[in-house]
Amino acid sequence: MLKVVPYLADFCKKIDIKKLKFSLCFRLMFFFVVISAIVWGIAGYISYKETRESIDEFFDTYQLALSRQLAAADWSAVSQNTQDVTDKLIKNVENADDDDDAIGFAIFTRDGKMIFHDDENGKYFPLNTTAFGTFVNERLEREGDKWRLLRLYSADGRYIITVGQELEYREDLAMDIVEEFLTPWLFGFIFLLLSIAGLTYFEFRPLKKLAASINNRSADDLAPVNMDNAPVEVKPLIGAMNHMFQKITNLLKRERSFISDSAHELRTPLTALKIQLEIAQMADDDASMRQQALDKLQKGIERAERLVEQLLALSRLEADNGHYDNVEILNWNEICSHLIDEYRLMVKNKTIVLEADDKAQPPFCTGNHILTALLIRNLLDNAVKYSPENARITLKIADGKFTVTNSDTVVNENILQRLTERFFRPAGQKETGSGLGLAITERIAELYHCQLVFANTDEGFAVTIQAKEDI
Amino acid sequence: MRVLLIEDDSLIGDGIKVGLSKLGFTVDWFDDGADGKEALLQTPYDAVILDLGLPTIEGLDILKAWRNAGIDTPVLILTARGDVDERIKGLNSGADDYLGKPFALREVQARLNALIRRRNGVTKPLIHFKNITFAPDTKTVTLNGEKVTLAPREVALLELLLLNKNKVLSKETIENKLYSWDDDVASNAVEVHVHHLRKKLGKDIVKTINKIGYTLED
Repeated sequence: MLKVVPYLADFCKKIDIKKLKFSLCFRLMFFFVVISAIVWGIAGYISYKETRESIDEFFDTYQLALSRQLAAADWSAVSQNTQDVTDKLIKNVENADDDDDAIGFAIFTRDGKMIFHDDENGKYFPLNTTAFGTFVNERLEREGDKWRLLRLYSADGRYIITVGQELEYREDLAMDIVEEFLTPWLFGFIFLLLSIAGLTYFEFRPLKKLAASINNRSADDLAPVNMDNAPVEVKPLIGAMNHMFQKITNLLKRERSFISDSAHELRTPLTALKIQLEIAQMADDDASMRQQALDKLQKGIERAERLVEQLLALSRLEADNGHYDNVEILNWNEICSHLIDEYRLMVKNKTIVLEADDKAQPPFCTGNHILTALLIRNLLDNAVKYSPENARITLKIADGKFTVTNSDTVVNENILQRLTERFFRPAGQKETGSGLGLAITERIAELYHCQLVFANTDEGFAVTIQAKEDI
Repeated sequence: MRVLLIEDDSLIGDGIKVGLSKLGFTVDWFDDGADGKEALLQTPYDAVILDLGLPTIEGLDILKAWRNAGIDTPVLILTARGDVDERIKGLNSGADDYLGKPFALREVQARLNALIRRRNGVTKPLIHFKNITFAPDTKTVTLNGEKVTLAPREVALLELLLLNKNKVLSKETIENKLYSWDDDVASNAVEVHVHHLRKKLGKDIVKTINKIGYTLED
């Protein structure tokens, strides 16, 4: 037994109390022990009380019956000799000593002289002439034990009969009964405690299996976890995880295609730069050829720069998932006016007008100022680039819609479908561009729950930003 | 050498056109796939440079259409996608060679030369004729071992005649091979180039066949 102690001490050292707090098994066992102890204590207390009452009732009745019998006897013939003979006789009775605490009695004369008693305890019974015909608890002079005493007069009225029983005996008896009653409980309790430990261990195996199967996965394995055999309680967790896996898979797919598209798209401007540089190098003494190549190189670098900037903008828009700070109340009229002023300086042969009054309702009223300006700029930039000379470009804010129209422009229906595709550029473009502007614009619109609508109207080609229609 | 270039990117298209012209090629450049597809059906090009990433029509579809129409002009495909599958798909669709972006102009030139050489059945990198040596790759000409400087069109004419040795080429055929659709061709342009070649390489080098055309005869 002693050999176990060091192991147990070692085991206890290994247990991290802070971690135990989070162990379901430990918590279950802990609460089981606490609740069981309380229930056990209350049940024990109640059964002790009731047993004690029953014992009192039983022994009181017995004590009363004995008192009556003693009271009915004739005590006049009793002498010291009788006492001695009786004591001797009792001593010869087998096991007489075992019955020591059960009950005792003493017979007094009315003037207080003890004439007969049981050998053991009765001789110490005090004479009390006040409490008659009722049970009283009194201390004996000997050892100060508490006894329950009943006093009666004998039938002839000459003697005082005192019958008593030690209270401790009754208490011990009650305790024994309660103990016997509760002991099987204690074993049951230990058995239950071990069962809980075992059950939690076994019942949590599906969770451990789940953890192991996820641990063993490679980083790119995002296949859903099979939940056919999972317990009902664990299913929501697996379901949520599978949902998360799906979202991560989609995100990864998007990211990968974005990276591969970007790398692919960067190759084109890079090729252009390489070729123009080669031409500049092989121009030899042809100064105008070299100059042209250098001009185109410059243009190519600007294009590559713009592509990289737009790629960054788009990747940030994708990554931040719309969590943009600095949300403020937007003044669309002011943003549009500023941009129009800027473009009017650059584009002399096209008319740009803003159609909006102060009460005009824009597609969204609050948002990030820079993003909103970028959205409007992209649309305005496209309208300016892809409209013919002397075109009229109209920016209109009304009824929760923002529309940019460029006159005398018609966009082929096949191309309309693909305008917001990343890197899409229709054939035969004289203007340089990355094919990302409208993809960025659409992404910003999405952040504000809006969509882009393209249409060839009587006034020209129109791009409208409006609240997303509910599907 | 007249080359058809189908490339939608303006800077790349312009670069290849200018660069190859400087290197002695005649280049017709189309930024629209459909127009470019038609052009090969109309004109006898020596080779085609075809970008696969065209916006409105698939480069591979154009290639397949040509091959189905029985046109076997060598085609060099340009691709921005680096993956092997696409290259294999291109070669299986009838392409003769491919170049992945970003590429150098000199590589385009070298591959075009190789394609044209293979098509003309010339495997040697140098062409010898009498006391003249011509290097198709570098477009350099030597006379008795001495380097001779020729204008790009003169080089193109010499190469054309060398590759069609002992065949008579009409003035019209030569014009078609030497000039792109954008060029203004003077009526006596071919005569002028022949005159220059004779001046630089020797009087008897190009033989005039009256009313038919020109030839190089052993």
